Amino acid sequence: MTAMTPFPPAPGAAFEMVRVTIVQGEARASSDPRVEMSTILGSCVATCLFDPVVRVGGMNHFLLAEPPPHMRGQSFDSDYGLYLMELLINEMLGLGAHKSRMRARLYGGANLNPDLSPIGSVNAAFARQFLERENIPCVFEDLEGTQARRIQFRPASGQVRARLVPSDVAPTEKPLGRPQSALGTVELF
Amino acid sequence: MHPQSTPIRVLTVDDSASMRALLLGALTSRGFAVEQCEDGQEALEWLASNEVDVIITDINMPRLDGFGLIEKLRTSALHAERPILVLTTESSDEKKQRARNAGATGWIVKPFDADKLTAALRRVIH
Repeated sequence: MTAMTPFPPAPGAAFEMVRVTIVQGEARASSDPRVEMSTILGSCVATCLFDPVVRVGGMNHFLLAEPPPHMRGQSFDSDYGLYLMELLINEMLGLGAHKSRMRARLYGGANLNPDLSPIGSVNAAFARQFLERENIPCVFEDLEGTQARRIQFRPASGQVRARLVPSDVAPTEKPLGRPQSALGTVELF
Repeated sequence: MHPQSTPIRVLTVDDSASMRALLLGALTSRGFAVEQCEDGQEALEWLASNEVDVIITDINMPRLDGFGLIEKLRTSALHAERPILVLTTESSDEKKQRARNAGATGWIVKPFDADKLTAALRRVIH
């Protein structure tokens, strides 16, 4: 495996790294070898996608929301996760990646509070199911458990480093729901 | 539309199996008759011998993308006037303009709201 192997220690890069934080509700892609994306996950899930041929990678960070009232019968709003997955894929396509070549790594989905519903596992299950449906191989997963994680991802090489961090380091996670401003805006020409 | 009328026939074109499943559920539960294709090429082949009332298409797809599909349909005798709605995560004005120039009927930004989508479908078929 040359692609998507863990970082070598102390990379000693010949150029300054550009650090990009991916916050909840975001999806970004890049082919710039100077870029390092990072995020901290509690019960949120991050998907790292990589196309080894064009060396384009991308990361998203999502937490499924409880569904809006008119969508009874679903326990979580998977439309929103689907949106962020599609956004990530489209960002990568825009940089020349092909869906058929994409490989995925999944992180996060911890169940930080044993007294609450296992929302981390729900997010993890959604991400796994999405990749399976879209025929995107998941080459690695570090999901669930009870601890927060810090993820660093270099999109141009596909390299990922994941470390467990104290849960109080993770930002407060609240389901965002869908972006209300652009919710299915219809424009007829 | 009164309930006893023939259901509106919708063709959805999207390469994402998850999105197809979501659209299928949202539209069939609201009384539409739904056909689905995985990309523009498959849609073109299906539409060569099938009738539909309205088409919903994604933009980014393998083989033939949404722009190409719209352009080809606009030059076909059977579908030159067919309402075509673009349903996409793309938010750039340039892409929207390109869809409009290709002959799209409307532009809908994902994540879609099923009620707004069905209202748009009913509006464009008249």
